[in-house]
Amino acid sequence: MPADAVNSAEPVDTLAVRGLSVAYNGVDVLFDVELSVAAGEVVALLGPSGSGKSTLLHTIAGFRLPRTGQVWLHGRLVASPTAAEPPERRQLAMVFQNYALWPHLSALDTVAYPGRRRGESRTRARANAMDILERLHVGHLAGRRPADLSGGEQQRVGLARALARQSSLYLFDEPTAHLDTHVRGVFLEELATRRRETGAAALYTTHDAEEALGLADRVALLTAGRIVQLGTPEQVYNEPVSAAAARLTGPTSVLVPPGSVSSLLVRPDWATLGGDQPARVHQVWFRGTHSDYLLDTLGGRLLVRASGTPVHRSGEQVSWSLLRSWPLLRGSAPQ
Amino acid sequence: MAYGRRLRQVVLSGVVAVAVLLVLLPILVMVRTVWKEGSGQLGNILTSPGLGVAVGNTLVLAVVVTALAVPIGALLALALRSPEVPGRRFWQFGVLLPVLVPDFVLGYSWVRAYGRAGFTDDLFGRYWQGVQGPAGVAAVVVVNAVPLCFLITAVGLAARAEPAVERAARISGADPLTVLRTITLPLMRPAILTAAALIFVLTLGTFAIPQVMGTPAGFTTITTRIYSNLARSSDPLSFIEAITLALLLVVIAVLVVTPADLLLGPRLRTTRVAISDSSAETGGRAARRWAAGGIGAYLLVAAGVPLLALVATAVTKAVGVPPSPANWTLENFRLVATARNGEALVRSLLLAVSAASVLVLLGGAVASLERSRGGRRVATLVTLTVVLPGSTLAVGLLITYGRWLGGTAAIILLAYVAKLWGIAHRPISGAIDRLPPEEQHAARVSGAAVLTAVRTVVLRPLAPALVAAWGVCFLTALHEVTMSSLLYGPGSETLAVVVLNSEELGAVGGTAALSVLLTLVLLVPALGLWFTSRALSSRRRPLATVPELPGAR
Repeated sequence: MPADAVNSAEPVDTLAVRGLSVAYNGVDVLFDVELSVAAGEVVALLGPSGSGKSTLLHTIAGFRLPRTGQVWLHGRLVASPTAAEPPERRQLAMVFQNYALWPHLSALDTVAYPGRRRGESRTRARANAMDILERLHVGHLAGRRPADLSGGEQQRVGLARALARQSSLYLFDEPTAHLDTHVRGVFLEELATRRRETGAAALYTTHDAEEALGLADRVALLTAGRIVQLGTPEQVYNEPVSAAAARLTGPTSVLVPPGSVSSLLVRPDWATLGGDQPARVHQVWFRGTHSDYLLDTLGGRLLVRASGTPVHRSGEQVSWSLLRSWPLLRGSAPQ
Repeated sequence: MAYGRRLRQVVLSGVVAVAVLLVLLPILVMVRTVWKEGSGQLGNILTSPGLGVAVGNTLVLAVVVTALAVPIGALLALALRSPEVPGRRFWQFGVLLPVLVPDFVLGYSWVRAYGRAGFTDDLFGRYWQGVQGPAGVAAVVVVNAVPLCFLITAVGLAARAEPAVERAARISGADPLTVLRTITLPLMRPAILTAAALIFVLTLGTFAIPQVMGTPAGFTTITTRIYSNLARSSDPLSFIEAITLALLLVVIAVLVVTPADLLLGPRLRTTRVAISDSSAETGGRAARRWAAGGIGAYLLVAAGVPLLALVATAVTKAVGVPPSPANWTLENFRLVATARNGEALVRSLLLAVSAASVLVLLGGAVASLERSRGGRRVATLVTLTVVLPGSTLAVGLLITYGRWLGGTAAIILLAYVAKLWGIAHRPISGAIDRLPPEEQHAARVSGAAVLTAVRTVVLRPLAPALVAAWGVCFLTALHEVTMSSLLYGPGSETLAVVVLNSEELGAVGGTAALSVLLTLVLLVPALGLWFTSRALSSRRRPLATVPELPGAR
């Protein structure tokens, strides 16, 4: 990296991505991405498979060159179309979707690896590694290799390795994608605890809306290589910029009230059964904690959530009322 | 269900009978012969002049070839791993090219390229004195062994060293060289050691290159000594010595392969699907260009110049005449276009086609039985035939069936089937391992009987492996000379034997012309099979496995 690449005029966020486009085989997969992560902040990158989440993370990590734009870390330019600092010098930590553990190394040596690369003695690196493994409650697995670990255990070792990097920015590439519900819950709890301990910033990719909304300070919605909305979890959920953005963060219905030309976005908990609006039940799902009703209304199909077991059946006439709604801008109507 | 079990038992019995008749019985007959007729003379045999030198030469050659071929093959695999290497597909084909050239043709090409009155001598007045001798033999055996090492390490690399694990190391603070040292090479180690064990054992059994390049300079190995001992078949002691040496080769092979298999087998069996990643990495462009340049230079010296020299010799009027257009002629081709050579070519093709067809059936039969205990034992025996030296098998078959089949094409066919069974079995077995059992179960619950399920949902996805197995057997049989040269008789010469005999008679232009023809006969079907196999594979999901050591079950 040339010395003149360092530009002190750039705002000192932990991470700043400016006008980033990335191409595969000449075809752009990320378009003009603008994103920043402040010190200690957790930003979730929420998007469907193939939206470019991993590509963005891998470009920030240094595994891919941008076609246009820049990546800044702590006010230091680390990637542009003409120059890139190698991954090992970016001082980042990363947790991978497929764990990416080394089959020939034990959990202890895996977690000691970043320390060894920092120049620590084997004894010291291992002692630190053991300490981290124990904090993550997997100290008893220190001698095991990846083949002898379950998915959840492997991901904890992956997290331990990232923690051993002692970075101020963590990249999480869908770390819970291959974990079952229970193990995922344990992992996320662990993550929240470590975050409180380290105070580090994190960029976390996921396609799970609940996960993104639950753990992030801000959420960036990514579809087809573009960030379509960036805001607090409440903003992206309650005030989506489009129906497509709304669908990324949870179930949603778009109604066009009779006589109106504008559309209204309605979340399942923004409407209730009973009221002055007529409808016919199209379908009913019992979800355990609640029931979902899909209603045929005069403004279109509406999903309504009600607590308890189903009290109406398909084909039944019911009434409903609107508690709140969000107007969609023209052009962002039903998709 | 009972029908399926009966069918399996019939197939297993058939396969066991063939394995006993073609592999075990000949070895047992050899042991008995040495025991009965040679036990009193073992002292004389072991102290016969030159025997110690031949054994020593063989072991040193195997060590040197392994020490050189394995690093070269592994380096090539590493260099050609990135899709970003300019002209990667071309270089991959180039690295594998020596496999398509019969080993003795490659040896002869080196002599014509770098020896006295050869290509470089004609053009630049420079030649390599040692090309006919131990150094030349070692160089060409290395060139011949590199493709195998490349294949094994490349597959091992693809299966174990996923891009993500290397990225994890980079992000943990390791520079590219540290990643290579701490992650990539340790992950490649089982494949590298497998390649080393295989190349060591295969070099012990190599015959044609030492015969073509070493014998004229007085360099003998165990295999060339077996050949010369059998040529002096009137001397009973020579005959017993040949059998003893052939058995010695088996003992050394087993001593090397068994511990390697015990150590590496479990690690190689944990195969997994490689996650392909065609994504462009940052940096390293200059390194990739250097890699491409280095591979180009290696291929030029190893195969390019020698093959060019071979063609030049074939089309040049006489030895010592510069290979300029004014001296070009097709006379050498006209001279070798005899009815006898034509018959040898047809015989070679028929033998190769028959052997390949029988072998695919036998290889498929063993592979289909591997999930049962009896089947696994037969599979282990069959896989061991890969490292069973051709000279040993040929001698064993000769003394077991020689009185009925000696000097006929039938005994050569038996030898091909015995020697190449393991080669046919591996790709089919690997493909069956990768077939999800659920696909067959789905066919059965959809109403298909056992054979219908096999025909409709198993054979089709196995097609690339079957074609590959057939092709590899066909090509190997076509340029096989170690066994053919010991087993042929009047009227049963193969084209490879004709070329070897022509070379021994010193017919330079004729040998070169025959070598060019033999190489073309191999190259044309090889390219055809390559394209067919690629077309068939492209319709199936790409998978990779680590090749197993012989005997690894």
